Amino acid sequence: MKSKNIHTRISIIFFISILITFFYGCGKKLPEDIPIGVKDIVLLNQDSSRIIFPDSFKGKTLLLSFIYTNCPDICPMTTHNMQLIQQQVKKEGIDNVEFVEISFDPLRDTPSKLKEFGDIRDIDYNNFNFLTGNPVGIKSILNNMNILALPGDTTETKSGSKIYFFTHTDRITLIDKNGRIRNEYRGSKANIQAVVNDIKILGD
Amino acid sequence: MIFLLSILTILNYNSNSIEINNAWVRPAGKGMNSALYFELKNSSANSDELFKVSSNAAELVQLHKTVNKNGLMEMKEIKSLKINGNQTIKFAPGGYHVMLIKLKKDLKTGNKIGFKFYFKKAGIIKADAVVKSY
Ligand SMILES: [Cu+2]
Repeated sequence: MKSKNIHTRISIIFFISILITFFYGCGKKLPEDIPIGVKDIVLLNQDSSRIIFPDSFKGKTLLLSFIYTNCPDICPMTTHNMQLIQQQVKKEGIDNVEFVEISFDPLRDTPSKLKEFGDIRDIDYNNFNFLTGNPVGIKSILNNMNILALPGDTTETKSGSKIYFFTHTDRITLIDKNGRIRNEYRGSKANIQAVVNDIKILGD
Repeated sequence: MIFLLSILTILNYNSNSIEINNAWVRPAGKGMNSALYFELKNSSANSDELFKVSSNAAELVQLHKTVNKNGLMEMKEIKSLKINGNQTIKFAPGGYHVMLIKLKKDLKTGNKIGFKFYFKKAGIIKADAVVKSY
C-alpha cells in the first residue's frame, strides 16, 4: 500500500513536470514586436535578380543583417554566423526561413561583388540572398531599422587605389512572417543555437 | 667554454624568444581585403615591439584593432604593439588583426601566404599563414 502511494506520487510529479516544460516552451515570448517600417524597396541580389524588400519575403521567417564586402574583420564574422544558423536550421528540418544580407555600401557592392563574396565562402544560395541596389532605397532601409554605417577617411595605396572603411552597427535581426521585428543579436558574436531557438518559436 | 655557451645563449635568444603561432587568413577575392590572425608569444623576459608586417599578397598591410564603440564597430590603425616579457597576445577576429588591403590574388581556403613580422629587438621573423574559412 505504501509503495503504491509513492509510485502514484512519482507519476504525478513526472506528469506535472512534463506539463510545465510543455507550457513553458509554448509560452516563450520574443522580446520585440515592431513593424520593420519599410516596403516596396527594389533591390538586386547576387544574380542581379530583382527582389522587392521586404515584400518578397512575406510569409517567411527572415534573418537579416547588413554588411559591406570590403570589410576584413566584422562582416565576415557576421556572414559566417548567418551561414552557421542556416546550416543548423536545415539540420533541424525547419522550413520557411530566408537569410538576407543587405550591403550598406551599394556603390562598391555590385551584384557580382556580392556573388564573389558569397562564392568564396561556399554560401548555399537556396535560401540566402545578398542584396544591393539604389543608394536612396538602401538608405531608407538603414534609417528605418536604425542601422548606422559611417564611411571613414579615404586613404590611397601606392598604386593609387582609394580605400575607405565603415564604422557600422553589428547586428542580426529576426523578422517574422508578417514583417515585424522580433529580436536582435550582435552579428559577429551571435549565439547560433539561441537564434535557432528563436526561429523555432516563430514556427514553420 | 663559457664563451661558447654565451654565444649559444644569444643565438637561442634571437631565434626562439618571439614566436608567431597558428597564423591564418580569411578567404577573399583579388582586389578585396582580408585579415591575418595569429598568436604572438614572447618567451623571453624582455619586452619587444611589433611595428610592421609585410606580405606580397596585398598592396597595403596595416596593424589594426577593431573596437566596439557603443555598439558601433570601428577599426583603428595602430602604429606598433608592445609585447611584455613572457606574454602572449592573440590577434583574433573582432580585436587585433593585420589588415590585408587590396589583395593581389584570390585567397582560397587551403592556400599558404608568407608574412614577415618586424620587431624592434628580435628583428624580422618569417611565418606562413594558411587560408581558412571563418
Ligand atoms: Cu582592419
